Amino acid sequence: MIVAEQKPLEEIRRMIAPYGRVLILGCGTCMTVCDAGGEREVSFLHNALQLAQARSGDVAHTFSEHTLKRQCDPEFLELLTEKTADVDVILSLGCGIGVQAIAERLPDMPVLPGVNTSFMGMTKESGVWDERCAACGDCRLEDTAGICPITRCTKGILNGPCAGVKNGKCEANKDMDCAWILIYQRLERLQQLDKMRRYYPPRNYRTIPRPRRIMSKVDTVVGEGDG
Amino acid sequence: MNMVNKSYPENRLENAPDHSLVPPCQDACPLHMDIREYIGLVSQGRIMEALQVIRTGNPFPSICAYVCTRPCEDACRRSQVDKPIAIRSLKRFAVEFGGDRMVRAEAETTHEEKVAIVGSGPAGLACAYYLKKSGYPATILEAHSDLGGMLRVGIPQYRLPREVLDIEVQRLTRMGVEIRTNTRVVSLDLLFELGYKAIFVTIGAHQSLRMGIEGEESPGVIDGATFLREVNLGLKPSLGRKVAVVGGGNVAIDAARTATRLGVKKVSILYRRTRAEMPADPKEVEQALEEGIDIKYLVTPTEIKSENKRLNVTCVKMKLGEPDESGRQRPVPVKGSEFREEFDTLIAAIGQAPQTPDDFGVRMGRGSTIQVDPSTLTTNRVGVFAGGDAVTGPATVTEALAAGRLAALRIDDYLQHRYPLPVKEAKEKLSGDLLPETIEMIRKIERVEPPSLASEVRAKDFETIELVYGWEQAINEARRCLRCGVGVEILFQDKCATCLTCLRVCPYHVPYLDASGTIRIPADQCQACGICVAECPAKAIVLRKPFDRRQVTEELGHTIKSAVESKTKPLIIGFCCQYGLFGTGTLARLWRSAKAGVSIVPVLCVAKVEAAHILSAFETGAEGVFIAGCGEQCARENTTYWVQQRVAKVRKVLEPIGLEPERLQVFALGTTAEDPAEELDKFVEQISALRLASVIKGEVES
Repeated sequence: MIVAEQKPLEEIRRMIAPYGRVLILGCGTCMTVCDAGGEREVSFLHNALQLAQARSGDVAHTFSEHTLKRQCDPEFLELLTEKTADVDVILSLGCGIGVQAIAERLPDMPVLPGVNTSFMGMTKESGVWDERCAACGDCRLEDTAGICPITRCTKGILNGPCAGVKNGKCEANKDMDCAWILIYQRLERLQQLDKMRRYYPPRNYRTIPRPRRIMSKVDTVVGEGDG
Repeated sequence: MNMVNKSYPENRLENAPDHSLVPPCQDACPLHMDIREYIGLVSQGRIMEALQVIRTGNPFPSICAYVCTRPCEDACRRSQVDKPIAIRSLKRFAVEFGGDRMVRAEAETTHEEKVAIVGSGPAGLACAYYLKKSGYPATILEAHSDLGGMLRVGIPQYRLPREVLDIEVQRLTRMGVEIRTNTRVVSLDLLFELGYKAIFVTIGAHQSLRMGIEGEESPGVIDGATFLREVNLGLKPSLGRKVAVVGGGNVAIDAARTATRLGVKKVSILYRRTRAEMPADPKEVEQALEEGIDIKYLVTPTEIKSENKRLNVTCVKMKLGEPDESGRQRPVPVKGSEFREEFDTLIAAIGQAPQTPDDFGVRMGRGSTIQVDPSTLTTNRVGVFAGGDAVTGPATVTEALAAGRLAALRIDDYLQHRYPLPVKEAKEKLSGDLLPETIEMIRKIERVEPPSLASEVRAKDFETIELVYGWEQAINEARRCLRCGVGVEILFQDKCATCLTCLRVCPYHVPYLDASGTIRIPADQCQACGICVAECPAKAIVLRKPFDRRQVTEELGHTIKSAVESKTKPLIIGFCCQYGLFGTGTLARLWRSAKAGVSIVPVLCVAKVEAAHILSAFETGAEGVFIAGCGEQCARENTTYWVQQRVAKVRKVLEPIGLEPERLQVFALGTTAEDPAEELDKFVEQISALRLASVIKGEVES
């Protein structure tokens, strides 16, 4: 899942300052799960912005709110047509993808990001999320017992551990487990310690052109993004 | 790309129906009363409304409040946690404090068809009440000099004060029910000839069963029903010094306790089974023992001899054998265990049967009961309906009231030539027990028993034993209710992102993932605390009852509206738990708006106050907001934790808006050394100072 964090209220207020009618648009998928932009956060932000406005007595904004099931699919954005008729700006609480999807779909509508899209991760416990995947496009989890050194090692090294490990913890953060110790322990458990003895050549970041595209069908979409 | 062209349906929440399930108490009640609702209202101190709910489902709540056998309490799921809710005592509190005796029943006659009701027991009275309410001229015909049937001649006064019954009778008279006492009906044909279009036969079961032993006819042997009737009609039969009562039902207990009250020194009950099999109300048995009544179990009389004006009774000891058709173990005599004992009087209370005159021409069934179709109460004679003990054999007052109500509905159908529709359960029933893990997380709260007269005082006369709760006791007892079946549901499955927040935040571990990966919140386990509702990031979960869903927003709306009307800004808005906190007095003065500028938004547990609600309160212009919960007295442990989470979230946005975080406070009973009322006073001072400071600042700036 994509994990994000809502932007500070001051920043959101600064962004919307030039606009009158603001549609706060939530996203019902990842942003809901990570508490950044689901329907509840949309209405909380709505209340907060209204209160801020009432207290400061500055430019009169009018706010409306809506939450789509997903902002990153054009079909869902079609449902927006009615909602945007009398709106000057969309404040999207979708991730960066949602914001761009809106920009693509509605060429004349300014769109603002209400959240900072942070990482791809998982829930640790209620209200706590951890990064787990860097979307490097070249997954090596087979060799590392299902533990990703790229995201979970501070240095992202492929042949760890480094000399900075102390009591199984990372030198950069003594509360954080060393990813390579975790990998070692799990490989040992799985009786695959031989994988520790191998050398993994450094990854070549330059071979990955952006933006990337995945096509599960043949010859259906052509144009930009295919390298 | 025009594949999707539907807009999201708006106000889906407003239009969502009531999905609450029928709780076990309501299901067990013969009258099907909305017990959960009125207990909930009592717990909030809304006694008049509680009485209204009670009166909707029960024609004579004051009577039930004294004599109901409480099948609801037997079904109450709280007994899986600790002890059932004292439902009957709470009803008694509601009828007395709500002023049931002042309630006026009025009815107009809109139909011409006269209906005769033969018998004035609870079934007859209820039938008359509902027929009259539906606009029929109804006549009650009663053989005795006063109305009430078994309520009058069977139940002793210490269990049902006669003025309670008299008030109900007066109410019927005022409604225009025609009453003919001292009128024994011998033939139904005559009633039809007199112009009655329908007849409800509810003559009760007053004929005592015979023991079938030698010497039963001896002077000094009396049957239970006759004995109670004589005492209740004002006679004082002389019983001597030593009395035996045979039987184990409520009549036996009533007879024994009545005998004690008439001054008999030694009263013994002879029962052929053990206490576990006794059909009498366990509470009554307990009280009888407290009053010094001796109960001899596994004993039955076999012969009575009259000697020198005393009774020489031969008894035999019994043991329990194979189960009989009723499922109880059949008592069998122990050979050679006979013994003799002398008594002055022997009261036989081993059961009663109806005594229906043959001339009624109705078909009889087992045990001389009248045969009816149980769903229409029709007999084999056209226009003749029957109900109550006459049909069921001796049963409870509440069952009789239910039969009377059903009869009134069916007679209405019959007279209006409508096909009687089968009574269909409108709502799904709650089934299943609480799971051990749910039970473990429910806070144990001791059942509050109503005060009662001490045994040495009460056994002297016929004063009512059970007294009424005080205000605080009643509220504390009522808030123990688990409100079964009003839990939450995922109303909008399409919104649910299966984020598992509900599963993680539920204090009772109720939500679970089914095999297909869908989140389920089983209604029979949910305790309706509302934490998942407030925490669900998709707002997909709602409480099953529409009122519960809207409550906080609606109450906040009232506060804002009254502020607008009085053209003043509220200084402080407080979200206060309405369960107990005010009723029990701690912050009661707030409730009566004793503090200027403090507006209270009552909520049913502060766990239901969402972060957005707090912001809305500030939006009204309030300078300060507080949340006051029951703290350690709350039904669950972690309410305060969630309130603090939301408060922290709100404070985070208050700061950039220019509102100091201390403008938002949480008060919890029992968690701080200080009295919440004092803390609140300080808060009010603090907020006033903040406002003054900002006014001065504004003046300086301008």
